[in-house]
Parts: sequence; C-alpha cells; structure tokens
Amino acid sequence: MAELDGQVVGHVAESRRDFLKILTIAAGALGVGATIWPFIDALGPDEQSEATTHPIVDVAGIPENSGISVMWAGLPVYIRKLTAKQIADNQAVVPDTLPDPAAYDERVKPGYESFVVVVGLNTGVPCRLEGNDPADTRGPFDGWLCPCDGSVYDPLGRVRSGPAARNLAIPRFKFINDAQIQFG
Amino acid sequence: MSSNVKPSWTATRLPFIATWQAHFSAAVMAREAPYLGALPTLITASLVFMALSGLVLSVHYDPAQGFASLQFIDRDVANGWLIHAFHETGTTMIFGAVYLSLFRLMLTRAYKAPGDFVWVLGVAQFALLLLVGYLGYALTDGAVSHWSVVGAADATARLTGVPGALGTWFFGGLFGPGTLARLAVFHVALALAIFGIVALHYAGRRAIAPIAHRSAAVGFHPYYTAQYFVAFVVFALIFALFVFFAPHFGENPLNAAPANSLIVPATIRAPWYLLPVSGFLLPGVWGGIIIVIARLGVLFALPWLDRSGPGGRRGGVYRSLVFVLAIDVIALTVITTAGPSPLGGILAAILTAWYFFHFLVLTPLVTAMEAA
Amino acid sequence: MMRRILVPLLAAGLGLAGLAHADDTLAPVKFQSDGALGSYDKAAAQRGFLVYQTVCASCHAASNLHYRDLEALGLSPDQVAGLAASIKLAGGQPATLDDVFKNPGLPASAFAGALPPDLSDIVNQRPGGTHYIYDYLTGFAAAPADLPMLPGHYYNTAYPGNETAMPNPLKGNDVAYADGTQATAPQEAADVAEFLTWASDPNLDARHEIGVRAIMFLVFLTVLAIATKRRIWRESV
Repeated sequence: MAELDGQVVGHVAESRRDFLKILTIAAGALGVGATIWPFIDALGPDEQSEATTHPIVDVAGIPENSGISVMWAGLPVYIRKLTAKQIADNQAVVPDTLPDPAAYDERVKPGYESFVVVVGLNTGVPCRLEGNDPADTRGPFDGWLCPCDGSVYDPLGRVRSGPAARNLAIPRFKFINDAQIQFG
Repeated sequence: MSSNVKPSWTATRLPFIATWQAHFSAAVMAREAPYLGALPTLITASLVFMALSGLVLSVHYDPAQGFASLQFIDRDVANGWLIHAFHETGTTMIFGAVYLSLFRLMLTRAYKAPGDFVWVLGVAQFALLLLVGYLGYALTDGAVSHWSVVGAADATARLTGVPGALGTWFFGGLFGPGTLARLAVFHVALALAIFGIVALHYAGRRAIAPIAHRSAAVGFHPYYTAQYFVAFVVFALIFALFVFFAPHFGENPLNAAPANSLIVPATIRAPWYLLPVSGFLLPGVWGGIIIVIARLGVLFALPWLDRSGPGGRRGGVYRSLVFVLAIDVIALTVITTAGPSPLGGILAAILTAWYFFHFLVLTPLVTAMEAA
Repeated sequence: MMRRILVPLLAAGLGLAGLAHADDTLAPVKFQSDGALGSYDKAAAQRGFLVYQTVCASCHAASNLHYRDLEALGLSPDQVAGLAASIKLAGGQPATLDDVFKNPGLPASAFAGALPPDLSDIVNQRPGGTHYIYDYLTGFAAAPADLPMLPGHYYNTAYPGNETAMPNPLKGNDVAYADGTQATAPQEAADVAEFLTWASDPNLDARHEIGVRAIMFLVFLTVLAIATKRRIWRESV
C-alpha cells in the first residue's frame, strides 16, 4: 500500500516537475533563438547592398519614342516611352496572331501604359537589340531589331518575326512614383 | 550477468561524446556549491558570445574607414546596431565577470598549490583579454582611442633594444594607414588564442577539483546544469539592462567623436575595464606600459607571495585586506573616470602605491604571520 | 522654391501620420526621446527636418544619412522620393532615395577656417546631447560689455568659452510648418534638436521597445529557472 501511495505521489510530482522543466527549457530555447536571430539577420545584405540590388531609375526625362538602357543584375534593361500612336496600334493587335501571344496589359504596369521595360537581349541567339534611339533601324513594327539573327520585336517587346520564338523578358520592377522605377 | 548492451550510435563514431556524458553525470560534485561557482562558465560563454558578435561585425567592418564603418554598421546593416551593442556591452560584462572572479579567487585563496598553475593560466587569460580589449577600443577609431594608439606607437618607436623591437613589431611603426587593419587582425587572432588557454585552464581545473564524498555527492547534470542556468539567466538579465538602456556604459563620451589627427582631446581616458590596470600611469616612454606590466606581474606572482603553508586557511586579517584591495582598485577606477585634478592625481598615486604595498609587503607578511 | 515642394509634401505626411497639432509644444523643454524609455516624437522630427533642410543644409553636411532613412520618421517612400527629388545635388541632377544627404561642398576657407561640423552624429558628440543642441540654438545673445569678442565670432551662452563662429541661424518664422505649429525660434530649435537626435541614434525606438520586452521575458525566465532548480535539488534529498 505504501509502495502504491509512493508511486502515485511520485508520478504526480514527476509530471509537475517535467512540466516545469519543459516550460523552462522551451522558454530558454525561445530566448536563445531570439538572441541568435539578429546575428543571422546582420549577416545578410545591408542597406547599401539593397540599394545597389534594387536601383532606382529616373524615367520622367525619357523623350517619347525613345528608350534608355540601364544595366541591372548583369542584364541590359531597356526602358522606352511609347507615343500615343504606338499605344493605339499595339492595343489593337489581337494577341492570338502573335508568335508568342501576349496582351498589351500583360506587358506594361497598370496606370503607366506608356512605359515599356524589357530586358534588351534577343530571346533567340542572345544579342543586344537595337532600337532605343529613334534614328536606329527598328524593324517594320517600330520596336526593336536584333542585328545578329534578324528577329523583329514590336514596341512592347513582343516578338513579331524571326528565329526568336519568345517575347522579351520583363524584369521585376515597380513604379515608386510617376517619375521613378525601382528594380527588384 | 554481464550486460552486452550494444554501444550507442555516437559511442562507436565519436567515443568522446559518451565519455563526456558520463563525466557530466558522474556523482563527484559537492552539494550546495555557491552560485558564483558558475562564473568561469559564464566567462567562457561570454567569450563565445563576443566571438560570434565580433565575427558578424568583422564581416562589415572596414579598417580603412574606421569610424565611418561603425556608423555604417549602426545605420545600414540589418540589426547591426544591436550586434554592435552586444559587442560593446559584452565587453563590460566579461570584464565585470573576470574582475569578480579574480576577487573571489583571492578571497578564497584558490591560487595556493596545487592551484598555482591554474591561477597563472587564469591571469594569462586576463592579460590577453586586456590586450584584446585595448585593441577593440583602438578599432572604434574614436577621437580618444586614435590618440591613445598614436601615443603608444610613438612611445614604442622611441624605445631602444628588445622592448623597442617588440613594440615596433607589434604596431608596425608609427601610426599610419595600415595600422588599424593590422590591429584588427591581432584583435581577432589574440581573442581566438584565449580559447586555447581556456582549454588548458579547464584541464588544469579538472585536475585539482576536489571530489566530494560518495554519499553526499551529486552529478553535474542535472543539478548544476539547473543551477548554472539560473546564474546564466541572471547574467543575461543584467546584460539586457545594459545593452538596451546603457549601451555606452563606462566609455569615454569624448570617444563618440571620430578620430581627428588635428585635434587632441584634453584628456585621454580608456574605457572602464582598462582603468584598473592603467588608471595611473607614469610619464615618459615607459610610463604607459611599465605600470601595467608591474600590476599584472604581482598578480602572476601571488601564489608565491602568499607565504601561508599548504592548505592555508581562509579568513583572517588577510581576507579583510583583500576587501581593502578591491576598494582600492574600484576607487582608482572612479577617480580616473572623474577626470584629472590635483587631488585626483595624488590619490591615484597613493592608491597605486597601496596596490603594490598589498602584494609585495602585506601579502607575504600577513600570510606568514597567520600561518604560524 | 524648395518650400513650395517640401511644405505640401510634409503637410501630406503629417496629415497622414495623424500627429498634427497646432499649439506650442514647449514649456518646459522636455524631449520625448529623453530618458530610459524615451521614443521619438516623429512629428517634431519631421518639422525639424524641414528646419534642417531650409536653414542648416546650406552649410552643414550629414554624410552618414541617406534620404531613404527619412522613411523612419513616418513618411511614405513616395513622399521621401519626392522630397529627395526636390533637392539638386552638386552635378545638377535631383537626389534619389539612395543618395547621401547633400554635402554643400564648401571649403573651410569659406568659413574663415571654422568648417561647420557634420550633423549626422552631432548629438552623440556634444556633452549634453539633445538639450545642449537646444540650449546652443537658443543661446545666442548680445555679448556682455566687458568681454572682448574674437573677430567673426558670436556670443552664445551654451557654447564652451561662449564665443562661437556660427551666427544665430534661427530668427523665428524661418519656415512655415504645415501642421500649423507656430514657428517661433525656440520651437524651431526644439524640433531641429529632436531631428538631430534621431539622426544621431535612429535605433533608439527599437532599442527601448525590444529592451522592455527582453527584460520582462528574462525576469519571467529567471523565476522559471529558480523554480526548476529548486525542484530538481529537492528531488536529490
């Protein structure tokens, strides 16, 4: 009987001690984790690196019908401002008639329909495209032309003809206000 | 019946783990050991913490930029200000623990044979830690620390013979564009070297650790694991109070300005943890270093200055004298912090003289008398 | 010209922040950032930035601050980008979020040798901190008759030695606050002091907030640890 009593009492006491121990160890682990987190966070990129990785480009100064080229993450990115006629012409195009169907709204950011931001590399044979300057040869669609394999793109960067089969890549970016784009 | 329990997974691959587990659970510890017995473990944990925070800081620190680099860490590195504060306040905590530990060891006379070698290793760690702390202070590239390093490098350049050669070897000549970079490497290398001494020190302490009577002994785990955990959490609480509400405790406020080679601050005062050994300095090329070496030297020699026989008793007049010594060192730190004054200068000289008097005269005499 | 752009933007920022108030914020001078549990008065810091940009930035640099840091004062990235764009850098181009605060680029000879100090960390570098900055900016007074003033210096009650090379920059109504606060000289001084305190220690809010939580957690953990230790030791008896 005494043994039974001892066992019962011991069991209750043991579970109470275990709960306390588990709680203490858990709380301690939480504290250790909360302390270690800043170390790991601080090893990541700092604000300067973030700023270089996500550069801000001023686009308000781009004249209509011309484009600029900026390097980002090793890629040449072309930013072009379209004229009203180019916008109207390209909005009228039926996407299914294109080699790589894409609607107008899929190629531009809502609210900023006159700006096109694409990676300026041909999707066929990798080659820097020409056509940013209005005086360049732009091909029949007034967009971009590849000097290496003759692929033709329209002002939205959609492929119209040529060995290339895919539209120009669109990098990650957003308009932080009417005049500036931030990449990444 | 002999048990043929299959050896565990770790026992066949890393046998030392099984040895350690047995070591930590073996019933060899006395009951009711004081909480302050956790101090050496706290110091080691602080060293690891300092190494980790220092590692993260070193990823972003640029010795060519110095002060601007620390501003960059505080402003532009994610949680960089917190890691910087951890490293700053960690210095205060580790030195506080080391000074408390030294005081306790002197009170309990733990340096007596066979603990003399362990004591020497401990003081060696302390000396190395002081040097690492000084180098860290130099790396802040503040208005005061810059001139402290310039002065030290100038002094070593003027010394002759072996000390001069050693000094110019360490600083690389007069202060120049490469000095902070070299001091940064030494800061890290010496800090890691301390871990080597920690290992030796631990082995030495194990060798002389008293083994309690079987009937009254308990294992380290879980009894002292729990007790050390309490000590650790209290230590962390004090640390948090400093880190978040007084991160610049004990620093010279003038050092918050960047290094300026055209403006010398009116007083050059080191952070608090260097003041117990450097609060009072002699003038001249030797002045900066001779007192520091002498203060550390008498500490090293303490096991042999104490003339009580083997198993010398605790307590007695000598114990009170150790308290007086503690007050002496604290008073010197406070006076130096208050800034230069005629009375302060005299008091500092008296306090320093008492320090040497305590070790070189009182210790041999009083302990010999009390042993008789 | 700058005020025309800055003021509407700051008005929008303050309005959005919901911290606008029109009465005098002084008497007696107390800064919300003072003390162990202080935090920044973001509205005051925004007003202080306006004063800094209008009055101080023409001579002082703040080369550890970037315009993107101003988002911590409760302004949206869009507002800060607009603010930055209204500032023309040395090359003529407008500043962006990632640019360092514009350095006026004036040599010390333009100030008879007394180059205006960099303000990004000034509150940490002057004994007395925030209150010293306020006392300094409001401490300009007529020199006592018996004190011979150095040429090109001005009498200031707070400056060590009382002779400072900077003329009184704040005369009152140097700026027009969008939230309607009266721009008296002491008000401007207090606001710029709060702004400069933020500039010197942008992490104060985070530090105090995390600190309170950490202390509470550690006190709780101490109680737990002591209880566990006692429980384990009682078991050994």
